[in-house]
Amino acid sequence: MSPAGERADGRGPARLELDGVVVDFGGVRAVAGAGLVAEPGAIVGLIGPNGSGKTTMLDVVSGLVTPAEGSVRLDGVSLVEYLPEERSALGLVRSFQDCRLFPELTVEEVLLLTLDAGRPVGVVSTTLQAPWARRSERSKRRAVDEVVGSFGIDRFRRHQIAHLSTGTRRVVDLASVVLARPRLLLLDEPTAGIAQREAEAFVPLLRRLHELADTTIVLVEHDVPLVFALCTHVVMMETGSVVSSGTPDQVAADPRALAAYLGASAEALAVSGAPVPGAGGTGSRSSPDRP
Amino acid sequence: MSIPSFVLVQGVVTGLGYGLLAMGLVLIYKTNRILNFAQGQLGVVAAVFLVKCFYDFGFNYWFSLVLALAMAAGVGALSELLLRRLANRPRVLVMVATIGLSQVLFVFTALPFIRPKNLYKPFPVPFDVSFHIGTYTFTPAEVMTLVVAPLVAIGLAALVKWSTWGLSMRAMAENRDSARLSGVWTRRTSTMAWTVAGVLSAFTAILTSPGQTSSLTEVLSPELLLLALAAAMVGAMTSLTAAFVAAIGVGVVQEILIWNLSSTAQVDLVLFGIVMVVLLVRVAALQTGNRREERSSWLEGTRTRLRTQGALRRRVGSTGVWVALVVAALAPLVLSTGRTYLLSQICIYAVIALSMTVLTGWAGQVSLGQFGLVAVGALLAAHLGTRLPLVVLLPLAGVVTAVVAVLIGLPALRVRGLYLAVSTLAFNLWFMGSVLGTTCWDVPLVHRRLCTGLPNPQSTLLARPSLFGLSLGSERAFAWFSLGILVLSLLMVRLWRDRGVARRLMAVRDNETGAGAMGIPLARTKLLAFALSGFIAGYAGVCLAFATERISTATFDPTYSVLVVSMVVIGGLGDIDGAVLGAIYLVGLPAMFGTTSTIQFLTSGLGLLVFILYLPGGLAELLHRLADVVTLSLERLGGHGADPPSDTPVEAVTPQVVG
Repeated sequence: MSPAGERADGRGPARLELDGVVVDFGGVRAVAGAGLVAEPGAIVGLIGPNGSGKTTMLDVVSGLVTPAEGSVRLDGVSLVEYLPEERSALGLVRSFQDCRLFPELTVEEVLLLTLDAGRPVGVVSTTLQAPWARRSERSKRRAVDEVVGSFGIDRFRRHQIAHLSTGTRRVVDLASVVLARPRLLLLDEPTAGIAQREAEAFVPLLRRLHELADTTIVLVEHDVPLVFALCTHVVMMETGSVVSSGTPDQVAADPRALAAYLGASAEALAVSGAPVPGAGGTGSRSSPDRP
Repeated sequence: MSIPSFVLVQGVVTGLGYGLLAMGLVLIYKTNRILNFAQGQLGVVAAVFLVKCFYDFGFNYWFSLVLALAMAAGVGALSELLLRRLANRPRVLVMVATIGLSQVLFVFTALPFIRPKNLYKPFPVPFDVSFHIGTYTFTPAEVMTLVVAPLVAIGLAALVKWSTWGLSMRAMAENRDSARLSGVWTRRTSTMAWTVAGVLSAFTAILTSPGQTSSLTEVLSPELLLLALAAAMVGAMTSLTAAFVAAIGVGVVQEILIWNLSSTAQVDLVLFGIVMVVLLVRVAALQTGNRREERSSWLEGTRTRLRTQGALRRRVGSTGVWVALVVAALAPLVLSTGRTYLLSQICIYAVIALSMTVLTGWAGQVSLGQFGLVAVGALLAAHLGTRLPLVVLLPLAGVVTAVVAVLIGLPALRVRGLYLAVSTLAFNLWFMGSVLGTTCWDVPLVHRRLCTGLPNPQSTLLARPSLFGLSLGSERAFAWFSLGILVLSLLMVRLWRDRGVARRLMAVRDNETGAGAMGIPLARTKLLAFALSGFIAGYAGVCLAFATERISTATFDPTYSVLVVSMVVIGGLGDIDGAVLGAIYLVGLPAMFGTTSTIQFLTSGLGLLVFILYLPGGLAELLHRLADVVTLSLERLGGHGADPPSDTPVEAVTPQVVG
């Protein structure tokens, strides 16, 4: 069974290295020789206009898309030969936008479910209440107690997912990510489709996630101020290539990045060092669509 | 195999009847995405009314026919108005609602202004034409079918192809939301579809009723429905023409089989084989056409929000359970023998309903063949009852039935939802007719005789065994035994719900992709639902066989499977307590308040509709609300906002938690 639920080897966050990745969709070159490095424990933000190949990069890492050329390495091991299912066994977890959640289950059940995959208990042992089944369920509940407390969703524990707001659902999704104990976490637009007010709460929340899960994070996000506030490293993409890469300050100062993307919205630059809640967010959020 | 030409013509006549039925099923499925179990019954009211007009009022046949068809149209339209309220509910609930509807319509046929004074007069036919092929004489009714049914089919096809309504309907079938946005009045279109379906159904009843004296009021037997459904599935539930042609094919094949094979069991065997092959072959087409609808949550909104919780609520719940248990345990001491027998029946039906809760409520797979699984257990009891002690027989039956259930569930890995209803129904009919009904059969190649069926298909006697040396012969002892089995089953199912099994099943039901991404093994989890359900149904079958002491093939009729589906819906789909409440309601109440079948049908049919319309959470929701009220008033009385420290550890099974 996959050890996805428990970091069995006890190793810390993983190092991800992509180099010269080329992806073709029919005649369209979605990614043209892009590369990035995520050091262990880093939070790497991928930004860029629509269609610049950000999500495709995540697909390459999680194995949904096979690159035509280039290498993908996790701690120096090439991932190209691994199926998506096998990658999850290496501690690679991807959070899709909301699609992992289950309308009829309660928050508690969803979180327990995350742990079920890693530590399955057979139905016979459950029925007979074998000691290991009891132990496993108890430890799962303890882990859920912990994560529910640290994400502040204790009062939603017994609510059905269907009755939660999109923002709360996203928090539950993040909590279940923590329980999956990733070594490398891929987040695809964690704030998409949620209210601005809730989106602002995401910076501390994602920091908390990073701290609790002790993992490397690669995230794709349209909310530029959020990326600049949160990430230790920013990668800027345009039409399938990396145009700028470095610390948030470096990227913000890079004239190529300005030309490619940020130039259109001066306020996005202004808030890059210290995000102003509300004011900067709205302006920059719309900017990718109107470069 | 010989095929005289009159058998072929006979087959066409039979097939035309199926064809009209199949077209009605397709029509409703296209517009509303539901399997209409009332399709046969919609027109029966009108057919009975035709007899009334013809004989009692003395109208001329054609005038009576017009009145009857008008009535059928009205019945169809009214049915749609009723079911419209369920537009946003899970499809499985609407399907069960049509079962309720058909039972209510059945009651309609007994109303004084519809029911003819003399039921035994021959069904009227407008002309007296007959012809011979070989030695067989075709009756006027058969001649009428040969003429009228194709005309009706062509008329409908033309209507769908060229009328505005037909266009709207086809648009709705493609994409309901887009159709609405482009200005299609989906409600009006759907009402129209039901109206047409009612008229079609009336034609079916009017054409097939002459010559049959007994089945005037109940046209849609499960067998007939299954064959019509199989035909409809050839057309992927969307093509009217394919369904009609396929239905004629089914009719011809059936008549040829009946002519050539000696027993109905063999005919059934071949027919259901064909149904299964059709299902498996057409899976791909069925899936692509209906992906969006099948993906929607089965039970969205049926689970109620938790109002009160905490230790006090738990205590109220467990007190309720204990009181119910003590009452049930003491009841056999005071009840009459008949009532004690009823208590065992309720317990056993509740266990069977629990097997349904696991499969339909949690895993979202609809089974209309649960009594086929029960029959597996009962058959084992009939063969091994005297040889094995009961404590061995019960788990053995459970395991064997679980294996059978997994085999039936294999198509579920590819098909979803309603299609499984058809294959399980086919299994139920096949197991009842062919396996139970054939006492012994010759194995073709090795020339040995295997006796696997019921020793006597009409009536097999079973002697009740003893348990740990205690005889279960008396009704009182058996009632306690059944109650014990129910309590053990409840404990087991509750463990499954609270300790991880249920959440996996529900996760796969609600979001297959998501569950897969989490690392939940999809195929194994789906089959697990069947295995668990089969396990429960298997030992319940042993209990049922010993409870009734005399079993026959009819004991396992699919109508009982349908009854169990109604039970879990009335009780509250997916709710453990609901299964028990449903069994009490559907087995207990009719037995106590009326022995006539009309009253039974009325209780269940009307009850079903009322529950589905006004109480989506079922009886269980009522019970939980009651517990909420008690908890709240106790809190107010006690005046303590905070819960007293719980004396039960958190790990303990928490009874009565909503959903």
